[in-house]
Amino acid sequence: MSGTAILYNLINTAQGVIEAVLPLLAILAIFQALFLKLPTSYFITLLKGTSISAGGLWLFLLGVQIGFLPYGQAIGEALGGFTHKWLAIPFGFLLGFVTTWSEPAVRVLCDQVEEASAGSIPKRTVLYAICIGVALVVALGMARIVYSIPLLYILIPGYSLAILMVWFTQKEFIGFAFDAGGVATGPMANTFLLGLGLGMASASSDQNLMVFGLGLAALIALAPIISVMTLGLIVRVKTRYRR
Amino acid sequence: MQNKLKDTTFEVIKAITPLIVVVIILQLTFVKASAGVFIQFLIGAILVIAGMIFFLLGIEVGILPAGKTVGAGLIEKRSIWLIIAIAFLIGFSTTIAEPDVLVLSRQAEVITDGAISESSLVYIIGIGLAFFVTMAMLRIIFGFRIAYLLTASYLIVILLSFFTPPEFVSLAFDSGSVTTGALTAPIVIALGVGLSSVMAGRSAISDGFGLLGLASIGPIIAVMIMGIIVN
Repeated sequence: MSGTAILYNLINTAQGVIEAVLPLLAILAIFQALFLKLPTSYFITLLKGTSISAGGLWLFLLGVQIGFLPYGQAIGEALGGFTHKWLAIPFGFLLGFVTTWSEPAVRVLCDQVEEASAGSIPKRTVLYAICIGVALVVALGMARIVYSIPLLYILIPGYSLAILMVWFTQKEFIGFAFDAGGVATGPMANTFLLGLGLGMASASSDQNLMVFGLGLAALIALAPIISVMTLGLIVRVKTRYRR
Repeated sequence: MQNKLKDTTFEVIKAITPLIVVVIILQLTFVKASAGVFIQFLIGAILVIAGMIFFLLGIEVGILPAGKTVGAGLIEKRSIWLIIAIAFLIGFSTTIAEPDVLVLSRQAEVITDGAISESSLVYIIGIGLAFFVTMAMLRIIFGFRIAYLLTASYLIVILLSFFTPPEFVSLAFDSGSVTTGALTAPIVIALGVGLSSVMAGRSAISDGFGLLGLASIGPIIAVMIMGIIVN
């Protein structure tokens, strides 16, 4: 990567983070002035924390842009070049798992779930459920590219299943199951896994890039919803047996 | 603070290591990318580790307590209109500032040959999201079951997807997932937990969560409706 490209990345990423953090700071400041009136020292701690996380996010996104996006594409191209195309499916599973394992907002959600449930829903269990869900769906996404399956053929049954499960799973799991769908499509998945999908679609030549490379994000948002509610279902069945 | 730094560093290393190990194995066996790309990956990995440590620390010290205090503060004001206004404002302003939303909207302008301008799509996504965040907050306050809200919203999504032109379908689903950025997601989660924590008869675990999940449905429905109208 050339010097100008790196500089462009530096500035571009910084701009994005600042744009994302400004409204948060503005709302916090308005709130502090009008309603909250927290002690100034505590308010400053909050601002410091927010700035630290914005700075951290900047470094994180920079690393993802410089290192993970191009390598994701390289993996995708290598997979697309295999003589046995189906081999991409187990690789998709493995990469889906380790990528979600490293997604920062997924960690935050799992922590909050453990805290809010007073430890009765351990963060590790939730983390495994989310990662396995995404792993399965990235494998499915690879199969979709290899065998040209239309996106809606997966999304419509998937969301129908999610609606059905809402009525059978343990009540406490519903809310954060759908939140998990939101955090799983974080910066890591959006660059590394999408790079993978794009690289693979471009190596398989005749595929339509827009249609096949991009649908992966929608699948990744759906997967944890189903896998976390499956966990809830297991918990519900287990507690019933115990009674 | 020192302890927190140590714990977070440890957690981040545990979080990123599997990915790095898998990539190194792939590099040695199947992928064999050029040395430049591989070195770039390693440099990126160091930045990612450092960045994630600061990010998670800042979330714990700043973003989560801020979200929870604002959530709890909203309830204490006892004004339903204030809550609606603030929820809408937070949803709308954080969405239109989200860099990924801009990228997506630019793509949409290309797909539709300029029939939908970039800025109009940004606002449509913002309004869709703000509407659903507001609804999701009111659900917590009135104790409406999330199952009904989710079922109704997703039935609408499924129904609309049959009438929406295909190029808008994946755009719609993608817009649902890009709106919840890395900074917005924790603050929205914290808001809900904060809100439910000060309300009598609400449990943080079954009522506090779900804001983020509901929020991402708004843009999907908004973009699908727009696709149908444009066609």
